[in-house]
Amino acid sequence: MSIKSKIINVGIADIKVGKDMDVLRTTLGSCIGIVLYDPEQKVGAISHIMLAKDPTGKDAVKFPHKYGETALPILIEMMKQQGSNIGQYSCRMFGGASMFKGINSQFLQNIGEQNIIIVKKFMEENKIPVIVEDVAGNEGRTISLYCDDGRVLLKKAGMEKYLYKVR
Amino acid sequence: MLKSKVDEILQDVNKLPAISAVVSKVLEKLQKPDVNIADLAQEISKDPAITANVIKLSNSAYYRASKPIRTVQEALMTLGIKTVKEIVLLTAAKGILSQDLNSYQLEAAQLWTSSLLVAELSSKIVQHKKLKIDKDLAFTSGLLCSVGKIVLAQFFSPVMMQIKADLKDNQEPFPNLEKKYFGYTHMEVSENLLKRWNFPQELTDVVANYLTPENSKNNPILTSVVHIASILIVVSGIGIDIGGESVPISPFALSQTGVTEADIETYFVHIPDLQAGLADLLNV
Repeated sequence: MSIKSKIINVGIADIKVGKDMDVLRTTLGSCIGIVLYDPEQKVGAISHIMLAKDPTGKDAVKFPHKYGETALPILIEMMKQQGSNIGQYSCRMFGGASMFKGINSQFLQNIGEQNIIIVKKFMEENKIPVIVEDVAGNEGRTISLYCDDGRVLLKKAGMEKYLYKVR
Repeated sequence: MLKSKVDEILQDVNKLPAISAVVSKVLEKLQKPDVNIADLAQEISKDPAITANVIKLSNSAYYRASKPIRTVQEALMTLGIKTVKEIVLLTAAKGILSQDLNSYQLEAAQLWTSSLLVAELSSKIVQHKKLKIDKDLAFTSGLLCSVGKIVLAQFFSPVMMQIKADLKDNQEPFPNLEKKYFGYTHMEVSENLLKRWNFPQELTDVVANYLTPENSKNNPILTSVVHIASILIVVSGIGIDIGGESVPISPFALSQTGVTEADIETYFVHIPDLQAGLADLLNV
């Protein structure tokens, strides 16, 4: 990693944008990390959503970044503010783990799955191609987006690899 | 298997994480019902780092003292003995838990953040479900349940390749792999450490069984609370380690605590708010 690069941690229920030498990093369990990257302008963003929808209907007003439904339009808007519009970037998605099959919490069983569904639906509706996904399973994942060339460093279950596909 | 090597370490006090003599003394004094405040203040003041932290944290937004606190004695008078005990423990725990555990894939003090969140969520569950458990005890048990990972982390390198291979199609809880390769689960090591530090049995029982609450003999309800809190923090991704989401939530824990599906959803959704509320403590 270059001396000039700056690591920006994307917390849980958070969205961050970066450009050039910035490195955006987040850690995911059942949550989903949505990575948008514009290779021409070297602009990227990560949204870390917890749930597809707000079960209460009230919390999303205060914390819109927590839920896919409210976070995804904000993510698009933040890219736009950086001068990157739909058509200039693609989407990669990570996370959505869960192996709580056969237990009596419907909620925990489905978090990851529901998160994956809402992101795919949103990207399809907005004609943003999903070009890489590493989702489901029971592994935790740490992803780092290097905004200089858009590569993603994926760490999970003891292994780490770079993913270079950006369009 | 590395069991004999782990045994060696567990027998060598110099190689194990330790809590300072002042902390042990303070905790020992606090177990007596007739503890004297001046005496306690004097004991705490022997350790400048702990003293500084007690004063700093007493004035933090988290503890919301009614007036500015300048000395340990004032902290004890204003916040009470139990809270100051919590602060002392927190300071000691931070010293032990604030490290990168690369072999567990925990970097940049993620272990500390997740331990603190498990602690806070455990305490919140006790209050929310109105359980007859001391919420400070729930906090402390949650805080210390992963401490054994620190000892096991140092044995990963020789077996890393095998563990990775096993993880590829692993369908069982990660502690089973710890047992297979190291001869101990991190829960067993945590129990061993807490016994060494003279923590009460109700606490050692919780850390020993927090991922298998049905095996708790001493306090199944408290163990169940810490179980639920720890699983939810893992699911949220905070401090999620090489074991991933491999331990499902125990139906036994849900029935013991009365935590419902709706409660789980609420607790989960509020984890970021919980984390924001802990900002002061995270940066002790």
